[in-house]
This record gives sequence, C-alpha cells and structure tokens, in this order.
Amino acid sequence: MNNTDETEIRAKIRAFILSAIHLPDLTDDDNLFESGIVNSLFAVELMTFMEKAFAIEVTPDDLEIANFQTIAAAAGFVVRKRAQPTAV
Amino acid sequence: MHSFLTDAQQARQREFREFVAREVAPAAADWDRAEKIPASAVASLASAGYLGSTLPVKFGGQGWDTVTFGLLNEAFGRASAALTDLLTVQAMVSMTVLKWGSEEQKSRWLPSLARGEIIGAFALTEPGGGSDLQALQTRFTESGDGTYRLNGQKTWISYGQPAGVFLVIGHAGALPTACLLPRESAGLSVEPITGMLGFRAAGLARITFSDVTIPAANIVGKPGAALSFIAPVGLQYGRISTACSALGLLRGCFEEATSRAAARKVGDFGMIRAMLARMGTDLHAAALLCLAACRATDDRLPEAFTKALMAKYFSSQAAVRAAADAVQIWGAAGCQEDAPVARFYRDAKILEIIEGTTQIHEELLGRTFVDAASKTAH
Repeated sequence: MNNTDETEIRAKIRAFILSAIHLPDLTDDDNLFESGIVNSLFAVELMTFMEKAFAIEVTPDDLEIANFQTIAAAAGFVVRKRAQPTAV
Repeated sequence: MHSFLTDAQQARQREFREFVAREVAPAAADWDRAEKIPASAVASLASAGYLGSTLPVKFGGQGWDTVTFGLLNEAFGRASAALTDLLTVQAMVSMTVLKWGSEEQKSRWLPSLARGEIIGAFALTEPGGGSDLQALQTRFTESGDGTYRLNGQKTWISYGQPAGVFLVIGHAGALPTACLLPRESAGLSVEPITGMLGFRAAGLARITFSDVTIPAANIVGKPGAALSFIAPVGLQYGRISTACSALGLLRGCFEEATSRAAARKVGDFGMIRAMLARMGTDLHAAALLCLAACRATDDRLPEAFTKALMAKYFSSQAAVRAAADAVQIWGAAGCQEDAPVARFYRDAKILEIIEGTTQIHEELLGRTFVDAASKTAH
C-alpha cells in the first residue's frame, strides 16, 4: 500500500460523501459526526459503501467511530484492513 | 412482479403462497381472536425453515437472498400480519448477530434461531418514547468485575412473550450499547400486553430489567456502536419485512375488494372504481419499492437503507388506505369481526407505526433528500 492508493481511497470516500451531503468545503480531517452534519443512517451507509467499494469486511472489532469520523481516518482504516491477511 | 424474479425466486413464491393458504389463512382469524399464535404454528414455520430464511446454511439457515425473504413476508402478510411479525423480529435479531456478534455469540445463538428452536425479540422501544432512540433510559452499569447491571423497561416488544433471547439496546454511561439477554436471566420479567388495536396475536410484551447481570461477553459489538452501526442492521431487515408484510396486506385488500365489487352492483359505481384504481396502482408501486429495497440489500449498496425507508413508508400508508377502502367497499359486512377486511383494517394501522412511524420516516427521508439536493443548489 502506498500513498497513491490512500489518496485514491480518500477521493472515493469523498465522492461518496458529497453525493449524499452538501459539504463543498469538507476537508479530509473534518469530523463528520459532529454538529449534526450527517443523519443517523450515515454511519452505516458509509460503512456499507466502504465494504463494497474496497472489498473489506467491517467486523465487531472495528466498531470504533474513530475509524469513520473523517475522510482521512476512514481511508487509513481501509488501508489497514486491506493489509490484514483475513480481509475479504 | 413475476418478470422481475428469477426462476428460483418464483418457485419459492409459489411455495410460500401454498404454505400460507394451507397453514395460515384458515387459522389467522382464530389466532387474532385468541391473541396468540399457537406453538404448533410456530413449529410449522420452523420446520419449513422460514425462521432462518436469511441466515447462512452453515448456521442451519436457508441462505436465501433478501428478495426471497421479501416474497416470504409478502405471502404471509396476505393472511396474517401478526404472524409475519414473527418473521420480522427473528430476522432482526438473527441478522444483527450475524453481522455484529462475536464468534461465541454466533455459535451459541444462530443455529437455534435458524432452526426456530428459540425466538428472538428486538428490545428497543421504551415506555417514555418509541422513536427517540437518543432518549433511551435503559442503563448498563459496569459492576467492576467484568459484568454489567441492566436496569430499565421496554414495551410493545413483538414476540416478547415467547422469546428465548432478547437483543436489548440501552446506554452504558453515554454510550449506546447492545447486548444479548437470555430469557432465563435473573431479574428479567415479561408481562403480556393484550387488547391492542391490531397485531393482537403478535405476543406483545412489556419487559422489565431489574439489576440483571450481563457478562461482558454478551455485549454485541462494542459500547458506543449500538445506534450508529448495530441497530441499523436489524432495523433494515425490520423495515423490509414490514414493508413486504404491508404489501401482502395490500394485496389482500385488493383481492377482497375487487372480488366483492365484481360480484355485486357496487363495481358499477365510478367512485368505487376510483378506489380500486388507486388500490391497484398502490399495490404495483409498493411491490416495485419493496423489490428495489430487497435488491439493493442483496447487492450491499449503501442506498439500500434509504430504499428500505421508502418501501416501508409507502407500503404501510398504502395498506392503511387500501384497508379503509376495502371496508368501505364491503360496507356493513366489512365491519363484522370475522370479515377479513376488518382485521386488515386494524392491522394496517400498526404497520404504519412499527419499525419507525410514518413521521420518523418523513423526517429521515426528507432530510436525506434536502441534504443531497442542496449540493446542486449552490
């Protein structure tokens, strides 16, 4: 996994978020779950998107909001999951 | 909807309809009057594999896709919304454990849920508020010895009366938390609820937790994830099941109303035909929305959650409209307790309330549409 991969992952996650929510100034480090930016279904929608788009499986051990709360965190999570031998 | 289904899905649909015609429809009114589904009927569903329809074969389930699960719920909804609610709650608990349960929890609970040896109940709603999940008062308190103490009360829990395991959602401090709670747990009490408008046979119960000891191993996922990740998986199946149940009830209203209109002079009246036109069109639209939600779930698409909201939102309201019109078309005969449309009328209103009221769906869907549309407005 290299920086180019993570940059592409960030871009895909950003595109997904912007397809659902008007956040033109969203940075990679903005917390999505603060200040009511997203609705109550967004976390599970983002997780479902990440599982499908990056061929990973989010498991009970991964259930930390920190893994999903920013674009940078979500991309880093995907990189770590892909590096695991058990990733699907 | 035949042309949108695979051959295997069509074969299952025929099987489900035959099963319901044989095992459910003749007894549904009796169950409603008795406010109870007999154990023999539950055993019949279990032996057919219907209580483990979506669980993988390796856990003893059928491994059916969500479209087939939707067809199962539609077929049952045609005859008994109360019995269909058993399919609803069993799937809600089973699929939550499948996704978020530990390996120990999966091996302990999924085979018996799949075989229908135990019934699962989804214990979310509380007396102080059914729809405001942030306001849940049920509390997990750490005991300091690796266990939690559970205190609180849940109400209107479908199949809480016969349930063998409860998926309970509350708060541990500020963290929304879920756990699996066996029926035999000390401090757990179950009080039947009777006299409901509809869903009278759905085994509704009020559940009270008084210093129930919860081993940490019973926590599902992690504390903090219950409302953002864990409950939405169960609620997704709950909404799909309820939407398809409403579709079945709507089909029942349509068939009862059209046959009544055709057999009597009322079918010649334009105002009656207008009712049937709306009912038949609602039926077709609801079927398409349900199918879209099921397909998106099978394809693991993020929009599956919104599609399930739309399917439940539309189908349940269409069922209420159809039931009211079916009673109107039947006239006084439709107001008698034994008339099928009378039970449809009572059950339809419940479909508009369970798994999120119509107003909660409007709040969620309205916000989703505004959030997406404002992107293009600037």
